[in-house]
Amino acid sequence: MNLLSVMPGDSFLHRLNPVTKLAAAFLYGIGCILCDSIAMEVVFILLMLLISASAGLLPRALALTRRLLVLGLFMFVIQLLFVRTGAPLLSLGGVTLVTTGGLRSALLLSLRVVATMLPLMLFFAVTQMNDLCNALVKRLHLPYRYAFIITTAFRFVPLFSSEFAEIQDAQRARGVDFETKNLVRKVKLVAPLCVPLLVSSLKKVNSSAISAELRGFEMRGRESGYKEYPFGKNDALALALLVLMVALCAALL
Amino acid sequence: MISIDNVTFRYQNQRGDEAALKNVSLTVEDGEFLGVIGTSGAGKTTLALAMCGVVPHEFKGDFYGAVLVDGEDTVEHAPSHFARKVGEVFQDIDSQMVASVVEDEILFGMENFGLPHEEIGARLDRVLREMGIEALRERSIASLSGGQKQKVAIAATLALEPRILVLDEPTGELDPESSREIFALLRRLCEEKGITVVIVEQKIKLLCEYAKRLIVLERGEMRFDGAPREVIAHVDTFKSLGINIPPVAELSAILREGGAYAGDVALTLPEAERMAREAMA
Ligand SMILES: Nc1ncnc2c1ncn2[C@@H]1O[C@H](COP(=O)(O)OP(=O)(O)OP(=O)(O)O)[C@@H](O)[C@H]1O
Ligand SMILES: [Mg+2]
Repeated sequence: MNLLSVMPGDSFLHRLNPVTKLAAAFLYGIGCILCDSIAMEVVFILLMLLISASAGLLPRALALTRRLLVLGLFMFVIQLLFVRTGAPLLSLGGVTLVTTGGLRSALLLSLRVVATMLPLMLFFAVTQMNDLCNALVKRLHLPYRYAFIITTAFRFVPLFSSEFAEIQDAQRARGVDFETKNLVRKVKLVAPLCVPLLVSSLKKVNSSAISAELRGFEMRGRESGYKEYPFGKNDALALALLVLMVALCAALL
Repeated sequence: MISIDNVTFRYQNQRGDEAALKNVSLTVEDGEFLGVIGTSGAGKTTLALAMCGVVPHEFKGDFYGAVLVDGEDTVEHAPSHFARKVGEVFQDIDSQMVASVVEDEILFGMENFGLPHEEIGARLDRVLREMGIEALRERSIASLSGGQKQKVAIAATLALEPRILVLDEPTGELDPESSREIFALLRRLCEEKGITVVIVEQKIKLLCEYAKRLIVLERGEMRFDGAPREVIAHVDTFKSLGINIPPVAELSAILREGGAYAGDVALTLPEAERMAREAMA
């Protein structure tokens, strides 16, 4: 399963305007960045899991959280070793390895990474890029060309990964074993795949652009969309709550 | 009308001194149903791409001669200039999709053209019905089978109601029945609405039945051009090219050569039956 693909549904979250969803994901992330409390970051992560569950996205959210925790762990270790404030917590042969300040800032940073990224990645589960594009044009009056290019770039992300899986499968059929735990070996196996991946992906993007051109992409005006993307009460409610959250986080700084 | 005048095209990075098209001349009249056949690498796709200016605008290379679409030179105008006139279904089915959901894919071109809202809705319903994909309307394109994707691609092009339709192996992933349905639909569009259809196909049997004219490409050159019945009579050439012609056509050609039968080459079963009766009489 692809962690950035759309999970169709009819929940409160799904039914929001695409622009609202995007703004909400960013506001949530900003709140988490402003927030300066370890406990609150944990609360934000749990709250996001709860929100995902309301849209039937709990498995996806948990899978994403797991991935993000790995990234968080990486940040944790670096921060732990480099931040030297506070009292010594762990010493080895007279050399202070870990300090209380280091531990606190490491925990905060790694949790913050998870809390900030989670809503942004979940955004992709509830939004068709095509809808986002149309809504950006209709509601925010972004030029169609740019909205299309940006959203298409994101649309191609899952495509890249399926392409990659395809190439990997082809290699596996030729007897290449990717299931190695040895990182250096793994990189050596995967690196040569990057060139065919890039070539085939670029070809795809190019043919897609040609096909768009032949279907009148350049004639598109702001008014020519078929679907409407109105802002509703729910959008106002969601945005109000998120603005409130950001304001609270900023006030508590 | 598409007139192709002595076109030679060599892709920039094409190996050796081969060319994808060599001195191809061809006029496709309005309302014609033209089938294009040839072995792999014969230049069929290149020819199809040249009909809407994608060759040489998007694929660089050496282009000689001229392609005129309704008198307008494809070298002088960008492919987008021909968007309203020529609809093209590309061979690579996956990479021509611009949306993630079936409905959005079909809407894309119509929205670009700025058609009125009701018109878009009506055409959307119609092409979904024509291609028999009403049930796929809300499906994600990534979750479709190859054949279903082909139907979506054809629907997206039909929705634009181009006067000239160019389809590059549009039934490659379809079962025989769906392929036949698509040929029948194209033939109907051609006869009832006067739409010009150019179709690149491997399914020679369907081409013989539905196309009014057939051309055979071989290594960039045009070998034959004529009514399917006349073209298919060159049994030996098809054999040497490795293209399997319908057995009934082959049989009638053999009988004709042996002097047992004097009529036209048979393309369909009823024709073959008539031929057999005649030969035995
Ligand atoms: N982008 C390209 N760059 C270089 N050479 C190309 C390119 N595309 C096609 N060719 C070459 O041009 C020739 C004609 O290719 P073309 O794709 O038109 O063949 P085709 O008849 O459509 O084949 P197929 O039945 O496999 O689709 C082939 O020799 C091919 O290798
Ligand atoms: Mg081809």
